[in-house]
Amino acid sequence: MITYLTRRLLLLIPVFVAVSVVIFLILHLIPGDPLDNLLRVGSSPEKRAEMSARYGLDRPLVVQYGIWLGNLLQGDLGTSIASRRPVASLIGQALPHSLLLGALALAFSTLAGVALGVAAAIWRDRWADRLIMGGVLLGSTLPSFWMGLLFILAFSVQLGWFPVSGARGWESLVLPVLTIGLGGTALVARVARVAMIDAAERDFVLLLHAKGMPPGRIRLNHVLRHAMIPVVTILSLRIGWILGGAVTVEYVFARPGLGTTLIKALSQHDYPVVQACLLMLAMAVMLGTLLGDVVQALMDPRVRREAA
Amino acid sequence: MLLNLRRWMLAAGLGVASLGLTGPAAAQETTFVFATSEVGVSSYNPIPATLTNAAFSMIYDTLVVQDSDLSYHPSLAESWEEAPDGMAWTFHLKPGVTFHNGRPFNAATVVKWIDLFRGSENSYMIDAVASVEAVDDLTVRFVMKNPDPNLLFNLSSSFMGIPDPEAVAELGEDFGITEAIGTGPFKLESFTQGQETVLVRNDDYTWGSPLSANKGPAHIARITFREIAEDSTAYLELKSGGVDALMSIPTDYLGEIKAEPELAVAEMPGQEVFYMAINVAKDPFTDLKVRQAAALAINQKEILDNVFGGYGKEAHNFLISALPESKLPADADISYDPAKAAALLDEAGWVLGADGVRAKDGQRLSVALWTQSDSIFRRLTEVVQAELKAVGIEAKITTFDSSTIKDEFKSGNQQLAVRSYFWPNADIVDWFFSAERLGYPNTSMFNDPKAEELRVKAMTGSATQEERIANFTAYHEYVTRQFPYAPIYQPVQNMAYNIDRIEMPAEIHATQITGVVMVDVKVKE
Amino acid sequence: MSLPRSLSPLGRAMATPLGGLAGGWLILVILAAVLAPVLTPYDYDIQNLPQSFRAPDAEHWLGTDEFGRDLLTRILFGARTSLSVAVTSILISVAAGMILGALAGYLGGRFDRIVTTLVDLTWSFPEILVALILVAIIGPGATGTMVAIAVAYLAQFTRLTRAQVMAIRAETYVEAARSLGASDAHILIRHLIPNALAPVLVTAMLSTGDAIILEATLGFFGLGAQPPVPSWGSMMSSGSALLFKAPWIIIFPGLAVAAAVIAINVFGGALIAALDVRSRPREG
Repeated sequence: MITYLTRRLLLLIPVFVAVSVVIFLILHLIPGDPLDNLLRVGSSPEKRAEMSARYGLDRPLVVQYGIWLGNLLQGDLGTSIASRRPVASLIGQALPHSLLLGALALAFSTLAGVALGVAAAIWRDRWADRLIMGGVLLGSTLPSFWMGLLFILAFSVQLGWFPVSGARGWESLVLPVLTIGLGGTALVARVARVAMIDAAERDFVLLLHAKGMPPGRIRLNHVLRHAMIPVVTILSLRIGWILGGAVTVEYVFARPGLGTTLIKALSQHDYPVVQACLLMLAMAVMLGTLLGDVVQALMDPRVRREAA
Repeated sequence: MLLNLRRWMLAAGLGVASLGLTGPAAAQETTFVFATSEVGVSSYNPIPATLTNAAFSMIYDTLVVQDSDLSYHPSLAESWEEAPDGMAWTFHLKPGVTFHNGRPFNAATVVKWIDLFRGSENSYMIDAVASVEAVDDLTVRFVMKNPDPNLLFNLSSSFMGIPDPEAVAELGEDFGITEAIGTGPFKLESFTQGQETVLVRNDDYTWGSPLSANKGPAHIARITFREIAEDSTAYLELKSGGVDALMSIPTDYLGEIKAEPELAVAEMPGQEVFYMAINVAKDPFTDLKVRQAAALAINQKEILDNVFGGYGKEAHNFLISALPESKLPADADISYDPAKAAALLDEAGWVLGADGVRAKDGQRLSVALWTQSDSIFRRLTEVVQAELKAVGIEAKITTFDSSTIKDEFKSGNQQLAVRSYFWPNADIVDWFFSAERLGYPNTSMFNDPKAEELRVKAMTGSATQEERIANFTAYHEYVTRQFPYAPIYQPVQNMAYNIDRIEMPAEIHATQITGVVMVDVKVKE
Repeated sequence: MSLPRSLSPLGRAMATPLGGLAGGWLILVILAAVLAPVLTPYDYDIQNLPQSFRAPDAEHWLGTDEFGRDLLTRILFGARTSLSVAVTSILISVAAGMILGALAGYLGGRFDRIVTTLVDLTWSFPEILVALILVAIIGPGATGTMVAIAVAYLAQFTRLTRAQVMAIRAETYVEAARSLGASDAHILIRHLIPNALAPVLVTAMLSTGDAIILEATLGFFGLGAQPPVPSWGSMMSSGSALLFKAPWIIIFPGLAVAAAVIAINVFGGALIAALDVRSRPREG
């Protein structure tokens, strides 16, 4: 298992370098000068040149990349051009909010999705199945920002149950988690349902039935466990998708986080911040995929053996 | 390894603690929301600031303060006199004033502060000041290069709030972020950029200005200002009780607010003007007649009534109507006149085509209309688009976010642009139409020798306030008759608050909500 | 269910009750978009400010927007923008993805590695982020949106085609064609691409639904079609600021998006069943 993990972690390094190059290059294609947000209009060209030198914007791209990567490896993410503060501190403020939101949304999707998927599989092709799968489809086809806004209108403004925006206390997490989580729930429920049905028809399950084990226990101990493998796979593949949902939803609920930081930095051409946000998201995606693979390996004896 | 792990867990724990899972508010604590135009300050250091918000005026006092009638009153300066020739100003400072860190405020402070100010982005405000001398401990003299009747206005601006110069030097880049040391009625407790600013009462404050009823420490013990970029979200927060007040509210929301029994509005005279910049360097607007026609196509009344619900005022020239320089001869003011607009376009050779768009020599009168992505700009611009279409000008809208649009303006490719500014002084005409700032802020690319002559005279050649008014009125009138812009609308400034939570002073003696007002605000318990 | 095998897969998908319902709705939406000028007495762009913010009533079935324009009319015309942007960008994405994927799968080697790395890279980012960054580079508007969406979905078509091509490449009839002296181009165009087509097209169909949502999200950020041309996304964007005043401005375009996307998903499901894609060689 340890060798497997080490190998997977080492494999991340070239991907990480590739990601960093692409992120760096793409950002410098965005038209606009970050200094424009910093200098008062009508500033002298000398002042501009001085600022440009201060942030290293006057050097060739390759050199800028080299410096950036070098600093990055030493844990220095640079200084935000718009706010003149260390990027690491901005990210440090934003990241816990996004991680908490993402983790809760992921947990919600998993629990709700598996529960609904199992229920749909048990009542397969009956009205309960159709109702659940129909509802789930609806949840995944509504744009998340739209759903978020309607939640605000219904639960915050009309009923006054939850805050409209911001990140103050657990109450302000409920609606954002629900908004992101519903999309994920649909995905998990669909996969879980198919996997349950699939697993229930496997030989070993039929054997257990023949041995007279109670159906409830079979479902819980064997079928569900077997069915969880594809669920974990799809979840680890879709971590990025959940983070993407967080970007939009953070914006709608005016929550602090990577998404709002990124969107603002993008509009201010604040390269160091955009780069750091994208890197964080890319790393989250890569680590999420890895985590999914590891969990999968732990659950599936065949992969575990192969990995050992 | 174990040690590292423990450190990690500690850091993670701190991260979770900082997520703001806090309990309910206690006595005299309140939460306000900054105006959307004030969102995004990067530091509370006023010296290099390019954007300020209401918290600046609560942390830092200025030498003088301005009343809502635009008159000047003492603050850190008890009194002042101008030399008869305008070449020197003497300020007598209030005794016993101390900074938040206990250091005394005196004449030497002012001298050091002006030194720091010289090299900053805002130094244009003291361009006319040759030197500053401490006459004695509490008397300071500004020696002038040329008379500047506008000095008091500059000294009352939030950019000229006075920080402790020693602390600025000690803290460097951290000043205004981790700590902000002023003499104002509130101290900075914490600042999370783009999120919130927390201020606590300065209990030593006894030097309130005559414009405040309360001369001692403020009533509010702790105030949190949140930054919410979208007006509608901020309004929903107020309506659902999530916050107690919004520092500004768009006029088109007034109808909704007045329908809510627990919400009230404090009105202040407007300082903002919406206008359409017309690029005089770009065809077809190189033709004065076409510019005039575009300006006359704007229906100020329709916009006031339908976009802004009748609140505010129509704009007919570039300046807010409270300024004396806005009083132009009636024929210089720009007002809706579609018939004249059509006649002018006919004269200029643009003939109405079958599709409702004019054309000349086979070329359609189709122009680019730029705006920024904030919802009110988008709405207003769509109405302007329809009004231009009514006289046969087709305008294609492009929306930029508010920082990208500045870059784009520098390219000079704009033809028309719907914009607004927020400034209560006639020198804004210089800011937007000076030949020294073509592209941005002079988005109209206006460059006219006669205007430059009048501009220089207005900016540096006025010895007295009366002369300055006359010079700026002449400059403003000349610019307006060249149609480098079309005036649209002047909003009123509104602050909205929850009357179950907040008690505002009966009258607001300031041009906007500043520290002068905030010391009188009470939280109802 | 026994259906005549003579029907095309599309026909067979339409013949199932759910598939028929979904397909019928899609045809209806497309017809409504095409015939919009005939169907409605109102203009989508002419403002009538005194009529603004009218709640739904007999005259304006879905109410009016902040400029007094009929919302139903705007939704019909908005369908033109939203559907054409989504379909066009997916078509671009499919074409580019198939070419890249087929070449990568067929040629292998360094070209394959470069394509795979690049594709995996965009794949690991959420589509909305890829699109947001691309729109920031290209600039807002319909073209920018289309290119951004096309690139955002490029990865999945490239992957899919590559997998299909690699699976079929080794099959006997391809080997036979090669030994008979057929050129690479001939093999790719005549044998490999047609065989990869069915699963790619089904995926494309389902992705069109996602693309509609993505277009709407970009529109919500104010980056989509520019006024007065309506799109479902830009309508919701202006509606979001007026949520408390006139909720119908944002509710109905959202429902239009949801209905179209559900229909696409259901119909796509029926199409998969009709094509019986699963009995074909699985992706490698």
